Amino acid sequence: MDIGLVLNTLRDPAGVPFYPIVFQALYILTWALHIAFVLLALGGIPLALIGNAKKSIDDNWKKLGAHMTQVAKISVSILIVLGVAPLLFTQVIYDANWYVTNTISGLWVVAFIYILILAYSLWYWFYYANKNNSPIAGLVGVVSLLAFVGAGVLMHAFANESIQPEQWMNWYAPNGVIDTSGTNLHIDILRLAFMVSLSAPVTGIFLLNYVDYTSKCDGYTATYLSFVKNLGKKIATVGLLVSAVLFAVWVLTLNMLMNPLVIAIVVAVLVLLFMVIKESNSYITTLVLVVTALLISTLREVIRMNIMSKYGYSIYDYPMNIDWPTVIMFLTTFVGVGFTAVGFMLTMAWRAGRTKGIYTADATVTKLANATVGITIIWALIFLLWGIITVFKNTL
Amino acid sequence: MELIGLYPLFYFPQIGSAWLMGITGSIHIMASHTSVGAALLFAFLAHKAYKEDRPELYDYMKKYGMFLVIFSYVIGSITGPGIWYTATAASPRGISALIHNFVWVWATEWVFFIVEVIGVFTLIYTIGKIDRKTHLKLTYMFALASVSTLFLIIGIISFMMWPGTEAWYQTGSASDAFFGINTFPHMFLRIGFMILMSAIIGFIISSALKEKDLRSELTRKLAVIGMIGGLTVLMSFLWYVQTLPQNAWDLFHDVLWARDGMTRIVIATVITLYLILAFVLPRSINTVLAVVMMLVIGVIGVWPGEKMRESMRKPFVAGRYIYSNQLIARDVPGKHVKSEMALVAEKGLLKLDPFIPDHLRSITPENQLEAGHLIAKIACSNCHSLEKGAKFRPLPDKFPGLDAATIETILTEVIATGVRSYIPPIKLPDDETKALAAWLATQNK
Repeated sequence: MDIGLVLNTLRDPAGVPFYPIVFQALYILTWALHIAFVLLALGGIPLALIGNAKKSIDDNWKKLGAHMTQVAKISVSILIVLGVAPLLFTQVIYDANWYVTNTISGLWVVAFIYILILAYSLWYWFYYANKNNSPIAGLVGVVSLLAFVGAGVLMHAFANESIQPEQWMNWYAPNGVIDTSGTNLHIDILRLAFMVSLSAPVTGIFLLNYVDYTSKCDGYTATYLSFVKNLGKKIATVGLLVSAVLFAVWVLTLNMLMNPLVIAIVVAVLVLLFMVIKESNSYITTLVLVVTALLISTLREVIRMNIMSKYGYSIYDYPMNIDWPTVIMFLTTFVGVGFTAVGFMLTMAWRAGRTKGIYTADATVTKLANATVGITIIWALIFLLWGIITVFKNTL
Repeated sequence: MELIGLYPLFYFPQIGSAWLMGITGSIHIMASHTSVGAALLFAFLAHKAYKEDRPELYDYMKKYGMFLVIFSYVIGSITGPGIWYTATAASPRGISALIHNFVWVWATEWVFFIVEVIGVFTLIYTIGKIDRKTHLKLTYMFALASVSTLFLIIGIISFMMWPGTEAWYQTGSASDAFFGINTFPHMFLRIGFMILMSAIIGFIISSALKEKDLRSELTRKLAVIGMIGGLTVLMSFLWYVQTLPQNAWDLFHDVLWARDGMTRIVIATVITLYLILAFVLPRSINTVLAVVMMLVIGVIGVWPGEKMRESMRKPFVAGRYIYSNQLIARDVPGKHVKSEMALVAEKGLLKLDPFIPDHLRSITPENQLEAGHLIAKIACSNCHSLEKGAKFRPLPDKFPGLDAATIETILTEVIATGVRSYIPPIKLPDDETKALAAWLATQNK
């Protein structure tokens, strides 16, 4: 099997509708955002479960557990919606890799969806059971966690299989006998362990953010805030050290220890460690964490590019058929609708959370609200007009 | 070595992989349509609550919202990408065609998804915590974002049926592919169904309210909303079927409607009677009845409807240029896409598919049955189960008791010539046709 020939043959004959490097950059950016919420959910769930287990004997854990239940609940929703974007962009430039994986692991691909539904539904069950002090709450929560982990392992396996084109034929037709059951599943335990370990620093730093935000709200005692701060600091510190060790071992197996990107990640981790220990402003620490996530996302992409270039596959020579109208639609929507709407909701939620009683929108939030509604109406009108003109043009 | 871009196969015995997508798709339709319909309902209720100073409506919105989060934003948001996943496993080139034509449309829809997901949590959790005017604007924004997701997906789903005109084949422009002649009727059809679903789900919440007058008032309002939605569905459906390509219309009119038409009429009548009952005797709608009706509409309404839409698309899977079995059926000059049919007829699937073990590249008497089975999987399994008596379109049952020579004649004289307009008219080299016929003859007894 000539792997390079196969990879290039599998490319979609329609080509890509814009410069491949743009899809690549969007992939790196959106994967980093997606994984941040995956890791927060993965770290938040155990804390919620501990909170549930200790709630009768420890008020601090009771409060933290309830809040982390909500954090996990919302994080899962956000990780799902953010996960759509990297899934979309990877299919544009690495279609061969993604589709082969999806077929040889087809049964697991289908199972993934239902495992995720099960996990998330159970988490809601845990939320209500915990609220009502049901004795089975803990059990439901643990099963939910296991299902979430299972879904995560599957997603890791798909990514891992997609970058091993030299194995595809062996997996699909071992000893020349084709297997269409879609039951292949191959994981890289070291890479998986490193990715999972990142949930500790992410969750720890989130707890430090949580303390900084709630310290200006009513209903949070100094004892509670100090408890959460210490916990966050501990989780972040230990998590960063463990992640650093796993990262070093992983990149060593890839012979990339001296790669500039790897060095940059190590430096970023050290900076994070320093900031956590020194109790720097947690929002700035989060910014450094975001940069670290972007570097890790870039490293994943560099690893994939290196592997693919070995077989003569480069995304940069993917045939192009630029489609300007939809490019412009995306960019204007992303900036016009996305920034305004998300800006409006987050600003309002931030300010409402810190207000005692009912929050009345100030001038900034009111302007953002009006702008969001206005821009979205204009967007819909332009879209419909565009459609009507196109249909008339092509039919009359 | 000449190859075409076929992927490995994933085949689910007895059901067929493509039907897995149908199952996930039907679940998603219930959840996603409810979410858009409910977003419109929220805007309506919030408007009423604000203008008429009715604080009790906010309580209803909060209860409905929590239900919506669980039903639509757990199940709906997962099964949405879930359709991608299952579609990818079953029809990788079909989904690839959509992605490579509409990636920016999907990316735009993603922006609205983000607004929706953050919006639904903000909307629910800020009830009673922010001033009502700002909350009203939030519900307007939420409704607009939800409807925009419909606007953006509808052209893609419509393109799967057909681009509507010849323009896209020549220009390759996504807007020519997106805005075809059945995009708008399809859009109104879905909007009607969404409004209907928001009422059907709304009954579950309104029927659980303790305050009797409010319960009756809301149930009646929902009944009217449901009737508006239902009427929109009926009128749009009549418009929609007029915009189908000829072979889809023939299939719909001659086969599918003849088989399932009565079921559709019965379900429409049942829904109408249910809505009338809710309007005339609102207190007769209890939670059990509301849940049962939702399931009835889901199982008897959505699943056969989606099956019908999927069947009408045959033999294509996307844009009337990719067949269900992933082969490219025609040239698309606007995208520099070339038909693969002549090449397949000359060289055969086993020589052109990259994922064929070496010993099956050439057919011999020893491997003929094995090769025939593999050809059946490549060429037929996207629509047919390969086991005799299986649940969905079992292939061996189409040739009951026939011998290999007769089957070969059917394959060359009927299938390959396109007599059956819903089957890809694929010509294969003689040795591949013989192998396929020989294998089928061993399965149909």
